[in-house]
Amino acid sequence: MITFEHVSKVYPDGTHAVHDLTFDAPNGRLTVLVGPSGCGKTTSMRMINRLIDPTEGVVSLDGQDTRSVDAIDLRRKIGYVIQSAGLFPHRTVVDNVAALPRLLGAGKKEARSRALELLAKVGLDERYARRYPYQLSGGQQQRVGVARALATDPPFLLMDEPFSAVDPVVRTQLQDSFLQLQRDIGKTIVMVTHDIDEALKLGDQVAVFREGGTLAQVATPAELLAHPADAFVADFVGASRGYRALGFVEATATVELADEVTVRVGARPADVVGDAWCVVVDDADAPLGWVDLRAARDVVEERQIDFSGTVARADGSLRDLLDAALSSPTGRGLVAGPGGRLRGSVTADEVLRHIAREREAGVAS
Amino acid sequence: MIVDWIADNAARIGELTAWHAVLSVIPTVLGLLIAIPLAWWASRSARFYPLIVGASGLLYTVPSIALFVLLPQLLGTKILDPLNVVVALTVYSVALLVRVIADGLASVPHDTVQAATAMGYRPWQRLLHVELPVAVPAIGGGLRVAVVSNVSIVTMAALLGIPQLGSLFTEGFSLRLTLPIVVGIVLCLVLSVVLDVLVHAGTRALTPWQQKAETA
Repeated sequence: MITFEHVSKVYPDGTHAVHDLTFDAPNGRLTVLVGPSGCGKTTSMRMINRLIDPTEGVVSLDGQDTRSVDAIDLRRKIGYVIQSAGLFPHRTVVDNVAALPRLLGAGKKEARSRALELLAKVGLDERYARRYPYQLSGGQQQRVGVARALATDPPFLLMDEPFSAVDPVVRTQLQDSFLQLQRDIGKTIVMVTHDIDEALKLGDQVAVFREGGTLAQVATPAELLAHPADAFVADFVGASRGYRALGFVEATATVELADEVTVRVGARPADVVGDAWCVVVDDADAPLGWVDLRAARDVVEERQIDFSGTVARADGSLRDLLDAALSSPTGRGLVAGPGGRLRGSVTADEVLRHIAREREAGVAS
Repeated sequence: MIVDWIADNAARIGELTAWHAVLSVIPTVLGLLIAIPLAWWASRSARFYPLIVGASGLLYTVPSIALFVLLPQLLGTKILDPLNVVVALTVYSVALLVRVIADGLASVPHDTVQAATAMGYRPWQRLLHVELPVAVPAIGGGLRVAVVSNVSIVTMAALLGIPQLGSLFTEGFSLRLTLPIVVGIVLCLVLSVVLDVLVHAGTRALTPWQQKAETA
């Protein structure tokens, strides 16, 4: 656990970068520090590995005051990932990852084979291992940066805007694959970002900073959306809070799904009861989209499929269910079970009724 | 006649060329070893940078002949001792290299240095494993200037009677012969080019990681 106790940082010119900061970053969890620029979030993170020393207060790792250990030894226990990756330009990808183990005395062969394992873990193909950093894209460099930070298997990881320097598509890929990785490795992570959506997506816990280096609120993403501590946090977290909060509520079995008539591409549709829409499924019974049988007199052709509706997973969030319903041409959102097989459909009304039921149950208990 | 003279003196010309190369290269290497810590200090301190770089640059303005004459008194060496030449040229090499290396170290990307620090590199480990290797292109450029400059300045040592290609100039002058002077000049040029190419090739070999566009 990383603990901040009444930590302040005042620069010689009198600027208060951080003011009386107290919070914990629990073990095995990802804590995100988020806030507007100049709020002291990066300064706070850098006090953990003593790139910056606090003026007052104590930062401790698993109960040990960071000032009681040698700064170099401390840093070697804490992986570090920065925005632009900061790779060593004169080393190949594999040697970038192997650099610190080599410095600490590991054999070349051993360090490299471990580096290759890590590169595979962060999703970088082995053929990139012998390349130099300038031959990689920004997203690939960032993956190498993560692998390098994990090279000595440190219990702690600090990440300074790790996914900010890449385009939105790559950013989403990096975030998703990092979440996957973290589920696997369970490091104690402190990450800095200015992007509240990234904070809510990645964080187990989010610490919102305000200007002047004070902490506005520390909470889980769902809590932050549902109960912002004050107007600043509400404003910073932003619009559509109610809708976004549904993203953190798991759909339970009490949401009622309706059965749908299905048809395969190339097949003749059975007689349909109700309206003229019918779900098209593939050979594995995974939903592809809808077809309007008024247009498909004979057999269903691929070009007749309406792909506009999103498909929610049965174990997804209420937000996914609601989105599936809202985006569907029929108003009935498609829900797929594990393996992608169609489970049934849900309407926006049913999702809202479910929310109302849950709220009443919450009030009653 | 030209061929005859060269043939007759081939052994001695070879010897002079070898001495010339040694007297040029050793001070360059020593200069590099002394300049690196000075430059590192300068690159790390905004306060000392102008002082170190300015003072070392100033050394280059001391006339070589004065240095050759002064050094025996300072070092307690004999006037004919080649050590005087080595020391003098080392001073010039330091003068040329400190600024180049300091600027080279300062140009290492900030992110790279920060990453190394945060990973737990000690300052000297960071210098050795990260900053110096990344600054090799800049340092190589400085070394090329220093070694070529040394090839030229070594000839002055002929005035003190220390054997190297400059000796051919003084001989030609006292015997009123043009040929030794021309041979001396040509060999100096050849030596400069060879050393320059060697340093350049060494730099290239150490920097396979550079983008082709940058090395072209």
